[in-house]
Amino acid sequence: MTTSTYIAGRGFLYWFDARAKLLTVVLLCVLVFLPMRQLGLWVLVGVAFLCAWRATDFKQALQPLRTILFVLIIMVLFTPLTYRDGEFILFIGQFPFITREALVQVNTLIARFLGITYVCSLYVWTTPMADINLAFRWYGLSYQAALVLTLAFRFIPFIADAFRMIQDSHALRNAVRIEGETGKRQRLLDVVPTVTAALVFALKSIPYLAMTLEHRGLGSSVKRTSYRKLHAKGGIFTHVLLSVMIAAVFFLVFITI
Amino acid sequence: MKEINPAKKTALQIALMAVLTAVVVVFTLMFRVPTPIKGYISLCDVIITFSAFLFGPWIAAIAGGLGTGIADVIGGFPQWAPFSFLIHGAQGIIIALIARAGLKKGVPGDAKLFKMILGGVLGMLVMTGGYYLVGGFLHGFKPALVEIPLNLLQSGVGVVLGIIVSRTVLKAYPPVRSLAL
Amino acid sequence: MKHMLEISTLSFAYQGYGEGVSNHPVLRDVTLSVAEGAKVLVLGVPDSGKSTLARILCALVPRYLAGEVAGSILLKGTEVLQMNPWDLLGRCTLVAQNPQEQLLMTTCGDEVAFPLESLGFAHEKLILEVDAALQKWGLLPLKEVNPQELSGGERKRLLLAVTEAIDAPLWIMDEPFDDLDEQWRDILLKKIQNRNGTVVVFASRYLDEFRGTFDQYCLLTEGNIITDTEEIIVEQFEQASEIQFPLAPKTLKTISHRLSCNQLTIVHPRRSVISNEPFTLHVPEFTVEAGEIVALVGPNGSGKSTLSRVLCGLDLALEGSVSLDGSTLSAKALQATVGYLFQNPDYGIFLPTVRDELGWSLRRIPRLSSKRKKEIVQSCADLFHLQLADNPTMMGYGARKQLQAAVYYILDRPFVIIDELDSGVTYAAAFEIVSLLRSRGAGIVIITHDRTFARNLAERQYKIVEGNVEETEVGA
Repeated sequence: MTTSTYIAGRGFLYWFDARAKLLTVVLLCVLVFLPMRQLGLWVLVGVAFLCAWRATDFKQALQPLRTILFVLIIMVLFTPLTYRDGEFILFIGQFPFITREALVQVNTLIARFLGITYVCSLYVWTTPMADINLAFRWYGLSYQAALVLTLAFRFIPFIADAFRMIQDSHALRNAVRIEGETGKRQRLLDVVPTVTAALVFALKSIPYLAMTLEHRGLGSSVKRTSYRKLHAKGGIFTHVLLSVMIAAVFFLVFITI
Repeated sequence: MKEINPAKKTALQIALMAVLTAVVVVFTLMFRVPTPIKGYISLCDVIITFSAFLFGPWIAAIAGGLGTGIADVIGGFPQWAPFSFLIHGAQGIIIALIARAGLKKGVPGDAKLFKMILGGVLGMLVMTGGYYLVGGFLHGFKPALVEIPLNLLQSGVGVVLGIIVSRTVLKAYPPVRSLAL
Repeated sequence: MKHMLEISTLSFAYQGYGEGVSNHPVLRDVTLSVAEGAKVLVLGVPDSGKSTLARILCALVPRYLAGEVAGSILLKGTEVLQMNPWDLLGRCTLVAQNPQEQLLMTTCGDEVAFPLESLGFAHEKLILEVDAALQKWGLLPLKEVNPQELSGGERKRLLLAVTEAIDAPLWIMDEPFDDLDEQWRDILLKKIQNRNGTVVVFASRYLDEFRGTFDQYCLLTEGNIITDTEEIIVEQFEQASEIQFPLAPKTLKTISHRLSCNQLTIVHPRRSVISNEPFTLHVPEFTVEAGEIVALVGPNGSGKSTLSRVLCGLDLALEGSVSLDGSTLSAKALQATVGYLFQNPDYGIFLPTVRDELGWSLRRIPRLSSKRKKEIVQSCADLFHLQLADNPTMMGYGARKQLQAAVYYILDRPFVIIDELDSGVTYAAAFEIVSLLRSRGAGIVIITHDRTFARNLAERQYKIVEGNVEETEVGA
């Protein structure tokens, strides 16, 4: 199982410091819920899409859209049917289908949701996991919490591998010579042994993990130093300032008062 | 026997949280049924319920919240990560608090069946309700209704399997008791 | 002479779980003195308590692995049993037998850095030390790679790099030569010899290279340590671990099966980030007959497991097919024909007792009375020296391997593939498992990289050389 969401590339987003970039993401995600002009929301979506395209390729840039395509369709289908107030502008036969208000509503919802999706995706694509972790630390996450995060990432592929092997092992053990004999019900019943074996396997690694953490000095009263550091080219202050400016410009240009 | 001072169990606590988080991630990503709104339903609730029964509210909250959050990020739904973190975290806390009410600290899995079910059901409500609220907030309350039965199904399967598995694991691997904090 | 380590009357028993289960004694009366700067080799058969002793010496057991310890261990005069593991960081370092147990981080660089951060090294020094340590073990190009993507040998080297970076005066090494290929074995042996500090090596195989390289030779047996001259220790060790009985005679079943592959090509994407080329394996011909023992050998990562997974129907080949007695089998039919004993026995263990575990395999067999089922389970347990009431996850590694084999004995598959049986159990136990499985007429493929093991057991041999499977002389 690949745990990395980072996609190597060049450009502004890779230069932008992980801490300041995180601030931008949070600010933008909050701003889209303020009364913004619809054009503004679509500009955000457009810019984010272009950034994604530039950072990766067209196919990858479409990926977030594809993951939420279905919900977008549901929204398009549901919202007109549930917003019945106002002036109808579209009829299907005799049936009044959509009102102007509903159109505005669905447009805003879609643009907002797309915007959030792209902004979040861009962050995890252009920031290495280690840097995200350091950014959280900078915002006050404790060392131990950050360590849990790192260790979780270390164990995901390990447990995923073991889990696949466990499934295989059970498949071989349960195989019967006559084809088609294992029905759906049987397969459902086989979930319990597989899950149990996987959990026992995972739980057994816990004492050894705790043991190794202590063997490598966790618990010692010596003050820990840090191998990894975030380096913001031009100073972190510049980056944070830039981050706030991006949000401010977006806000001032597109807010409706 | 040399007893370890509970205050010195930091390493064990970190190890428990990290490994269970990873298990939640694996179960979230390896059993996925795609659905309209939230993207997919999965078996993550089995592990959250299991962690809640055996290891209590805090471990379950971290494993459930962090695990589903990480799974969202890896699985291509980063916009859901903060919400999954809060919702599944709360789910873990609720299940554990009710199922383990009246239990002495550090005695995992001996919870009474009816308490486990009660906790599980409340966990289901927290999870389903949480996703409904966030879904409504993000993309309209009407479309979010579609997700309710699916979330009830996912968390319901989670409770049933969670109860069964917490018993089989306790039997198959008795030292799990010594891992409780 | 100054003592680095003084162990006296050390005993240890793991806590037993369940009603009426007593503690499981591992060490009885271990007494050993190690001089400062000495290089010590402690031999011991698998499951003799080497890993447990190694962990106790680093104050890691009993903590989260509960148990009862008595006696004393003085490390330069300080009682280890009273110490916290983190306080020993700069004093002694353990290299565990299974590298997975000791990996913590998501890149090799961070892995080396972690203990140095605990020691409080300054940032600039950390960068230098990490690079230097990785360089020494040929891992610098892999600095940003996830240790989970490394091969077993590379993981071992990573842990050796961590150990060297910490540079503690005492190294405790549990099977450090396992998984390493010859080049790195030589390098490690030289490092041990030329070191100023003290080194205690635990090993369950006596390698030819060990001759004359250590200052002190010991044998861990029956929970005690014996120290003597190299000749005597090695002789006693070989007596304890060598082949004790010949193979059981082939029982000729009337039905004889033949599993064969024709012009197989197997392709799968490589996990490693280093090479983007997909991994390809060609199998022009591969045949196993019922009752036969065939060895499949080749270096680590050459594709032995890849081929096995196709043989037992877990993966599909890109081209070619696997057939039984001439007719092609589907993957599903293969799964029911060819058994596969994974190297790690724990993948298949999930029930509370040996009785349940063995009985589980019988539950799908129709028309079998429960009395008959009980008899089968009992007789199988006797054959494999298992106690029906034991809890599988709590048994020793050797016993878990026996249980895993017993499950396939009951399933009575016509063919069985056994992955790396020889690592972790004695030759004698491995031979017994193979002959028991064969006694039911199964054709057996043993995967190994131990030439001695293959030579003594197999009748024919296939070898994987650079992506091709070819039949060679046994033991080649």
